[in-house]
Parts: sequence; structure tokens; C-alpha cells
Amino acid sequence: MSPGPALVTQRLSKDYGSGRGLFELDLEVRSGEILGFLGPNGAGKSTTMRLLLGLIRPTSGSARMLGLDIARDGLAVRRRVGYLAGDFGLYPQLTGAAALRYLARLQGGVAPVRIAELADRFAADLDRPVRELSSGNRQKLGLIQAFMHDPELMILDEPITGLDPLVQRSFHDLLGEVRDAGRTVLLSSHTLSEVDRVADRVAILRAGRLVVVDELARLRAQAVRRWEVELADSPAIDDIRRLPGVHETELDGRRLRIAFEGPVDAIVKALARHEVLDIRVHEGDLEEVFLRYYRGDER
Amino acid sequence: MSAAILGLELRFRARAVASAALGLVALTALVGSLYPSLGDSIADVEIPKEIGDFIGGSDLATIQGWLRAEIMAVYGPVVFAVIAITSATATTAGEEEGHVFALVLAKPVPRRRLLLAKAAAIALLLGALSFAVLVGLRIAVAIAGGGVATAQLAAASLHLLAFGLAVGALALALGAGTGQRGLAAGVAAGITLVMYLVNGIAPVSDATSWLRYLTLFHYYEGGDPIANGIDAAGLAVLVLVTTLLLAVAVAAFERRDLRG
Repeated sequence: MSPGPALVTQRLSKDYGSGRGLFELDLEVRSGEILGFLGPNGAGKSTTMRLLLGLIRPTSGSARMLGLDIARDGLAVRRRVGYLAGDFGLYPQLTGAAALRYLARLQGGVAPVRIAELADRFAADLDRPVRELSSGNRQKLGLIQAFMHDPELMILDEPITGLDPLVQRSFHDLLGEVRDAGRTVLLSSHTLSEVDRVADRVAILRAGRLVVVDELARLRAQAVRRWEVELADSPAIDDIRRLPGVHETELDGRRLRIAFEGPVDAIVKALARHEVLDIRVHEGDLEEVFLRYYRGDER
Repeated sequence: MSAAILGLELRFRARAVASAALGLVALTALVGSLYPSLGDSIADVEIPKEIGDFIGGSDLATIQGWLRAEIMAVYGPVVFAVIAITSATATTAGEEEGHVFALVLAKPVPRRRLLLAKAAAIALLLGALSFAVLVGLRIAVAIAGGGVATAQLAAASLHLLAFGLAVGALALALGAGTGQRGLAAGVAAGITLVMYLVNGIAPVSDATSWLRYLTLFHYYEGGDPIANGIDAAGLAVLVLVTTLLLAVAVAAFERRDLRG
């Protein structure tokens, strides 16, 4: 039997008035998956995460994490969850090591060797006071405290903010290990390439409402494809232009450029009526799909 | 967990408390040492009774009256209120505005536990300052050639502590309840100042004299601890107010959405 979902929200809402907040979120994060959480600024990603951690209280609705109700068993939940806030502070006068030791004690105990190991992987300097650290180096401390107790569920709000590409890679490697160990990650991001690289599925929020949850591959299938076709003769392109899903056609001598979405089959059959010399396929652009959802003009 | 929170709070404030304590010892001893030279001449100055009452009693000719007017009525409450308000608002709303709570309270830490550990740290801090005042007063009296028993000096220090705890609990409730440091500190300082003025002015007229019962200052120094020793009723009121304000602080903090 597969384990139940790691996280389920039911009509989870936080109404800040004048249309801001989060509205009736029904989201399920499966055990062992990395779910990318996307949406424009102010869409409600951080609000969702703060609700889950009990930092703010829902207006209505409920959520269960790791089988426990977050309102009733918040403490037990937080013992098993690792959270990185999008905007966090640390005591500026403490060194990174002292700040992490403190947070480890609040967490209920973490092996110091685990902290050292993570610091090593993120190339974090734990000996300097927090106030002297750059934002990227502070972010590393945030990551270490989220990972250090090997939580079953991780909730990460814009985790790669400020990190250099090398550290980003270490972080993504670590995420892969977390998933391989059967643990679960909910990760919000602005960086589509990050989500594309690490996530199994994505959920997109817009204006406080969930607009889609799906596998990346299926979203990509919705992307506008761009083909460049070289033909032996100069075709009449009207029949291609009239096919459903075709956005643009452009004929440049014997070179035909087509932008379309949806099934490939009709296009191939229309092209097959001509002698095709070459087809160059440009990868469906995931970003266009996301932007369509962000703007609200998805079909 | 509470020990970790308490330890961190004390570590952050140890240096400030140590210097404040030394300052209080020095200040109190200095005021006392001025008494032999100033006390006699001030005793000859005609001070209207109302003004004398306002500054803590017109009886400046005795070392008791001198310390009451200088330390108990002015320096003591000012220093205790300032330290109680700044520490209580920094450790609550200050940390919240610095987004520290976003990490700390995402750990398995009950909000109540966090707040009470912070309150305990402030209480210990004020306790240390109260002891410093006792040491300073003892030195002052020694310089002045005696005249006040140590038990009375201890009573005075204890009343100062209870006053500081009540003001600190007020600031803690405001800081934990609003999450806004500037607002909490300003309102706490404003309330304390208004209570100070009311306590000084209310007795001037019979019609308003009851108002002083509404101020912490009345319970702090109304029984004149430096002359009469511990005023159990006054202390009890201060402790009760402190406890109620702490309960309000916890209740407000537990229900509220964190800001940062």
C-alpha cells in the first residue's frame, strides 16, 4: 500500500480583505514527490506556507500534514517538518554556528556532525557573525536549519534566492537525495528552470486561487511548439494555417515556420502532402505555459 | 528548550545588564554621597508642600527623605522603566520585525513557552538591577553616616523590582500583542509617564486624589518602603498586575498572526 499524501489542504483560506489572500485551496502533495509551487508575486504561495506552519491562522478550512491536523497537532507536525521562510532573520550578533545550535535545540536535538556536513555541502561559513554575512550566505544558514533534522516533509519558500549557481546545484542534489529517501518537498519558486529541473509536478496559484496542478510533462505538452520546415517546393500554406491549434505560419521562400499547440498529427499529415527536406523542432516553451496561467488566459 | 531560550536571552543582555547595574550602584552611591553636603542646605530651602510631595516628599533633611526624593521617586523608576520597556519590546516585537520568529516559531516551540522564557529573562535582569540598587543604597547610607536599616533598603529595592516587573509585563503584552516595536515601546512609555504624572498631581485635590489608585506608582511607593519597609498590599497589587498582564500577553500572542 502506498503511503497517504504528505500534505492535504481542504478549502484552506486566509482572507486579508479586498481580494487579497488565499481562497479555498485544495492541494495534495503526495508522499515522496517534489511539488513546485508557482505563481506571480502576491499569489498566496508564502501565505499558504505560513498557514501550514501555524505562523498565521486560517480564516477557514483545514490542513493535514503527515497525517496530523495542523491546528490540533501543530507542535507534533513542526517536529517532523523542515521550513525555510521566504524572508527570515537571525540574531545578527550570533555566529552562524551559534544560531544553528540554538535552532537545533529548539528543534529538539540535531547531531552536530549533521550540521557540519550540511555546512560543508553548502560551503557555509559558520564562524562569522550573522550580521557580517551576505544575503546568499545567510540563505545557506536558512537551508541548513531546514535540512538538519532530516525532516519527512520540507516546505521551502524561494530557497535558492541569493545562492550562487554552485550552491544551487548542491541544493538541488540534496533535494534529489531527499526525494530518493522517500521524503516530500513543497517548493515555491520564481525560477521556472529550477522547477523544471527538480519538480515532479507543479501547482500554480493566481490571485489566491489554485489554477492548475499537473505533471510537468503534461504542462509542457500544452506549450506552443515552433517548427521550422524546409520543403522542396513552395507550398500553398492556407490549408496548414486553417488547422486547429495553429497560431502562426510564416513562409520564407521554401522555409515554413509554424507555431502551434495541441496534437502534432494533423500538422504532420498536412506537411506530408509536400516533399519535406528537413524539420527543426524547437522545444515547447514551458515559460509560455506558465505565463499563460499567471495572466489567466489559459484555455 | 526553555533553558535554551532563557540562556540566549541572558547572553544577549548580560553585558548591558552588567553596565546598567554598575551604573546604578555608582549613581545611587553618588547621590548618597552628595547628601552630607547638600542635605543641610536643602533643608533650609522653602519648598511648597505640593511640589515637595510631587518629587517624592519634602523631607529632604534626612537621608531617608533624600534617597526617597532622588532614587525612589526619580532615578530608580526611570531606569527600571526604560530597561523593562526596551528589553520587553526588543525581545518580542523587535524580533518579530526582524523576521526571527519566522524561523523560531516554525520549530516545535509553543508560543506560550517562548514568551514566558523571555519574560523570565527580563525578570532575572531586573532582579540583578534591583540588587545593584540595594548595594548602591547601602553604600549611600554608609557614606551619609547610617540612619536607614538594611531591611528598609531591601524593601525599597524590592518595590523597585516589582514596579519594573509590572512595567515590563505591560511592555511585553504590547510587544507580543501588536508585533510593532515602536508602537509598543511608545505606548508603554506613554502609559508609564501618564501614571507618574497622575500619581504626582492627583493628591493635590481631594476630588482627584482617588485617581492615584489607578497608577502603578501608588503601589510602588505609596507605602514609603524606604521608611516603613515592605508594603505587602502594594507589592501584592504589583504582582497581581504583572501576572494579569503576562496572561494577556500570552493569550494575545497565541491567537495572533505573526507579522514577519
